[in-house]
Amino acid sequence: MTGPLIVQSDKTLLLEVDHEQAGACRRAIAPFAELERAPEHIHTYRITPLGLWNARAAGHDAEQVVDALVQYSRYPVPHALLVDVAETMARYGRLTLSKHPTHGLVLTSTDRPVLEEILRSKKVQPLVGARIDPDTVVVHPSERGQIKQTLLKLGWPAEDHAGYVDGEAHRIDLDENGWALRPYQQQAVEGFWHGGSGVVVLPCGAGKTLVGAGAMAQAKATTLILVTNTVSARQWKHELVKRTSLTEDEIGEYSGTKKEIRPVTIATYQVLTTRRKGIYPHLELFDSRDWGLIVYDEVHLLPAPVFKFTADLQARRRLGLTATLVREDGRESDVFSLIGPKRFDAPWKEIEAQGYIAPADCVEVRVNLTDAERLAYATAEAEEKYRFCATTATKRKVTEALVAKHRGEQTLVIGQYIDQLDELGEHLDAPVIKGETSNAQREKLFDAFREGEISVLVVSKVANFSIDLPEATVAIQVSGTFGSRQEEAQRLGRVLRPKADGHEARFYSVVARDTIDQDFAAHRQRFLAEQGYAYRIMDADELLK
Amino acid sequence: MPEGSSPRTLAEALRARGDQELTALLRARPDLLSPVPGDLTQLATRAGTRASVVRALERLDRFTLQAAEALAVAPDPAPYRTLLALLTGDDGDETVAAALPRAVETLRAQALVWGGDDRLRLVRTARELLTPSPTRPSPTGLGPGVAEATAGMSPGRVQEILAAAGLGTTHDPVSAVAALTALFTDRRRMGALLDSAPPEALTVLDRLVWGPPYGEVTASPTPPVRWLRDRGLLLPASARTVVLPREVALYLRAGRAHRVPEPLPPEITPAAAIGAGRPQLVDSAAAGQALAALSAVEELLRDWHEGGPPVMRSGGLSVRDLKRTAAALDADEPTAAFWVEVAYAAGLLASDGEVDERYAPTPVYDEWLTLPAAERWALLADAWLTATRTPGLVGGQDAKGRALSALGPDLDRPAAPEVRRRVLELLGSLPEGTAADPESVLGRLRWERPLRGAVTGGAGGEGSVDTRSRIAAWTLIEAEALGVTGRGALSGHGRALLSVPAAAPGAATAESGTGAYGTGAYGTGAHGTGAATAPGAGTGAAGPATAPGAGAGTAPAPASDAPEAAAPLTTVERAAAQIAAARTLAPLLPEPVDHVLLQADLTAVAPGPLRRPLAETLAVVADVESKGGATVYRFTPGSVRRALDAGRSASDLHAFLSAHSRTPVPQPLSYLIDDMARRHGHLRIGAASAYVRCDDEALLDEILADRRSQGLRLRRLAPTVLAAQTDPSSLLEGLRSMGYAPAAESAEGDVLIARAHARRTPPRTPPLPVADGPPLPDAVLLGAAVRAIRAGDMASTVERKPAAEQPVQPSAQNGGLPRSTSADTLATVQAAVMTGAAIWIGYVNAEGAASQRVIAPVRVEGGFVTAYDHTSDQVRTYPLHRITGVAELADDLA
Repeated sequence: MTGPLIVQSDKTLLLEVDHEQAGACRRAIAPFAELERAPEHIHTYRITPLGLWNARAAGHDAEQVVDALVQYSRYPVPHALLVDVAETMARYGRLTLSKHPTHGLVLTSTDRPVLEEILRSKKVQPLVGARIDPDTVVVHPSERGQIKQTLLKLGWPAEDHAGYVDGEAHRIDLDENGWALRPYQQQAVEGFWHGGSGVVVLPCGAGKTLVGAGAMAQAKATTLILVTNTVSARQWKHELVKRTSLTEDEIGEYSGTKKEIRPVTIATYQVLTTRRKGIYPHLELFDSRDWGLIVYDEVHLLPAPVFKFTADLQARRRLGLTATLVREDGRESDVFSLIGPKRFDAPWKEIEAQGYIAPADCVEVRVNLTDAERLAYATAEAEEKYRFCATTATKRKVTEALVAKHRGEQTLVIGQYIDQLDELGEHLDAPVIKGETSNAQREKLFDAFREGEISVLVVSKVANFSIDLPEATVAIQVSGTFGSRQEEAQRLGRVLRPKADGHEARFYSVVARDTIDQDFAAHRQRFLAEQGYAYRIMDADELLK
Repeated sequence: MPEGSSPRTLAEALRARGDQELTALLRARPDLLSPVPGDLTQLATRAGTRASVVRALERLDRFTLQAAEALAVAPDPAPYRTLLALLTGDDGDETVAAALPRAVETLRAQALVWGGDDRLRLVRTARELLTPSPTRPSPTGLGPGVAEATAGMSPGRVQEILAAAGLGTTHDPVSAVAALTALFTDRRRMGALLDSAPPEALTVLDRLVWGPPYGEVTASPTPPVRWLRDRGLLLPASARTVVLPREVALYLRAGRAHRVPEPLPPEITPAAAIGAGRPQLVDSAAAGQALAALSAVEELLRDWHEGGPPVMRSGGLSVRDLKRTAAALDADEPTAAFWVEVAYAAGLLASDGEVDERYAPTPVYDEWLTLPAAERWALLADAWLTATRTPGLVGGQDAKGRALSALGPDLDRPAAPEVRRRVLELLGSLPEGTAADPESVLGRLRWERPLRGAVTGGAGGEGSVDTRSRIAAWTLIEAEALGVTGRGALSGHGRALLSVPAAAPGAATAESGTGAYGTGAYGTGAHGTGAATAPGAGTGAAGPATAPGAGAGTAPAPASDAPEAAAPLTTVERAAAQIAAARTLAPLLPEPVDHVLLQADLTAVAPGPLRRPLAETLAVVADVESKGGATVYRFTPGSVRRALDAGRSASDLHAFLSAHSRTPVPQPLSYLIDDMARRHGHLRIGAASAYVRCDDEALLDEILADRRSQGLRLRRLAPTVLAAQTDPSSLLEGLRSMGYAPAAESAEGDVLIARAHARRTPPRTPPLPVADGPPLPDAVLLGAAVRAIRAGDMASTVERKPAAEQPVQPSAQNGGLPRSTSADTLATVQAAVMTGAAIWIGYVNAEGAASQRVIAPVRVEGGFVTAYDHTSDQVRTYPLHRITGVAELADDLA
């Protein structure tokens, strides 16, 4: 009765990290439980139907799950929960999607009443065709993703035996010269490959691009890579040329400016979702080649039209990469059913402990607004309130003080509002990168920053993602997209690349006290706090002294 | 039994029994004891009454009942051999033969059967109840015998059947029936007879052989039916039905009364469950559930801490309140109803009995809370085990279609305690850690109490098969929810709860103990000593199955026919079992912890059940986010403010957290507390009746310093503002009397001008002058008055003509009323109408007051006279019958 695990009645599992069996327990429960929070002492996992079904898909059965719970649990496990686990897992696999030699894609059931039940659903009816025999029904091949998604929502997940197409073969090898995939990257690639499709969750700076490259080397087929913006596309290209056998000519860029389709094509979400006359002309890209692998970078940002199209791509292998599978729109389950379940996940702190990402000190600086500002804030219109308190002059002064404090270190100042950033740029005498900055200019500035020619860079949310700035050690966030948790994580990610001298990164969030800025900040920090990044809170007055 | 002579009656048979046997009979059939019979004859008579026999039959197990049924279709008396043959059939059956002596012994012990093995006799009432008849088919599926079935048949028809069956005619019907019976019971001849039957006829027989033995026929039956009917193999039961005679059926059945004799109770089969057969897993699962049960009940009562939902007028909890409770407990409604009922059965909650009746925890709840977890559980489990309240019924409807509500009336089922105990005992009969297949448990229960619907009739409406099976099914669910069982198997502590501790006395004292039942107050003084308490509250009256005084048909008798069934426990035994159960459970339950782990994401995790004071404080400072073995708390600005509101200071909270945290208090948490404390109470709110404000602070200082201002109860809110607890006008007066010149302010801050307001009434009329005497009359009035006076005068002074026929003087002369016969009155009045003359009448009004009037009649009709009354100067109507008499006026006046 001294196990490290405590099973809660709301189906969360509390794992005591310092317990001697914690590691073994984590391995035992990871296949079926989602890591929900990972603060210092007790990690919280949650048992969800989705997690249990994923475990079934990965070949675990209810007995193993129950054994793991019972073996590591400190206290008796409520029987109802065990029964529920068994029943939930038993729902998986009653329905299977498979290839029929003559009828194509078919849905087969081992339990006829279940088939009857789901066929009666209005949502399933348009997706299926003729009934071949009492246990089998034809599914339109294009609805493979849709029917999986629908069945999941109905609580009868289908086991997909229909397999994947290999796609057009193309030789890709990792060029492991002087470097090697890190163990967790290797595990992530393997986890993905065994699962066929799915999402890999790794902290920012932990080398997700290499996981993508590793997957491509496994697939050895033409690959479509979807990224958030052009700069990020260039970085992917740069990295792939450096780390794999691919050459510049084999990699195409499909963006607003260039429309190259090559064995490996990197496209931006933006171009895919460009809409003309009610249609998405660039979605044809998906069909332009016989892709063997599709990589979704920053999958938590996947736009809705791409979701829709991804549903039709169920026969191709799909790899999602992200640092935070927190979607502010709550569509996590769509990611799971369309791209695939989470195949690999590591707590940030664990990677940090292995030295692959820099340790970070997160500080929330509370700024006291002046009386005049407080009055103005109190009288501001509701929709203007955040903007007002996030861009106050006092904040600017504090930001300047912070920059001054870290003089000589590579510093990023990140904000939401362009006028605020311009003003800051002026006061700090630093260049500003924002939406209207041209890609060439951006790259020039980023290069200068990497080289240390400029030490302070003011950036808008264009730099939230996929910008590789290894030497940035201080990030100062002055305003953000309201309470977005993933944005906070991404911004912290900017400074997490391990430093040459191994020193600690600093992440400051400047927050106006007693305003909604403070409430949003609390919400934003939640994800990182749950990843074990404890925020210190300090008063701006201490800083200004 | 006296040597050499067999008893002739049941009474004689009873007389021959020893004291012990009689005791056993009375224990098995306690209804025979109320009142105590005077002698054995009386006892025998009572044992033969229908109600008592029905009760006894209901409590038989299936095989004993089958034996009784077989006896009912056998000749009376029947030798043991015959009975055995009926049950085993021609082929014989070892198991049945082995089980039968016990069954017969049971029947005999219960005084349903008497007589020696050579002549077993079923008590007459039982025989009547069990013998098949057209209205009450027997489970044997046998029809009446030939003699009975041919009773109403004409002798000629019987002779025809004899002839068709190949028998010679006889002289009388009796010998004819005997011959036919002899044929049917003779295997060899029957065989020969049926060999000659057409195949379709055999199919017809096949259909009837195992019952029901009745078949419908048309007016012109098919040839095979006719063939059978001609030979008496089918006998007419009514115009359109035929019956298969018992003897024929028995022949076709190879002598068996029952298709399937069930000599042995069905086995309880182990169920395949997750982790079955591992006692530790079972115990730990059950303990986990026990913990969940405790927290559910505690949460329920905490939820109702400040007054629970109202009691419906018809009693119980409304559906809406049950839904709300279920939502609060995060359970479905049946489960919520179960927790509510368990808490009620354990005496932890009750109606408060106020005018506006609500449910609330009882004082016992507070005592219960102080007990260790294992003892708390044992109390709940025991209350559940012995309660007649049946939570499973909630949500259903009673016989009249009324909804049954939780805590409402009509949820008591007397059979419940017995069924629950029996189900658990059956689970306990399996090896430790093995779950039972629920169906087999239900099957076993049905075997033990087949409870024949046909026999119970109106006598035992409660004990329908349905209710018992349903209670049993609920028992399995409830035992799991309560943690008596784990993974479907009886847990160690569940076993302890059921078992009679070794030291407990035998069944003999069990009865003496029942007298004290229901009187023991709940948990009197036992808590402190750690001894488990006896929750008699609410269950005493219905709990003990042996209560001798209970009315017939309600109190379940001990299951004496089921050898494994233990007698219900006495109070003392139950208390002992509770202690044992609590002791077994205690080591499985987590020890309360006295610390939490604080984390930087503003959560606190209590890695086990917290000690009560700690849990209570934490629940104020933080919100509970997740419950179970551990508790996760989250600190929010709201929760910290709640703690500050509750009178704790920031330093208290810091001290509390650092004292109880195993880990350092994270900086964001201390910052949160300080930040909240900084803002807490920043705005202050109070009530004042008036205020004083003055730009000159010195003047306010002066006022405050003045002793005369004390009565005004002034308080300085700010340098230039004083608040007062007196109303503005008194404050003004007070300050003026102190020599100041204050001015009043309106709500908007304007100075109020102190000017007397002109006050006006609503529109009013001036008063009317009051004169000295009456007003002067005008000419009209005077004229009328004079006329009236004159008329009155005339009436009183006129002279009347004496009535011609009347010798007497008109009474007017002597002041009396005129009198005349009614015929005269009518004639005179009619004449007066014609002449238009005035007449003088005597009149009695409705109050009986007499008066004299002078009237000039205008019309006479319908018994009324309409006339001008000179006396009152108006036209009036007089009922004729009130007119005492009439007289004409003296001529000189007319």
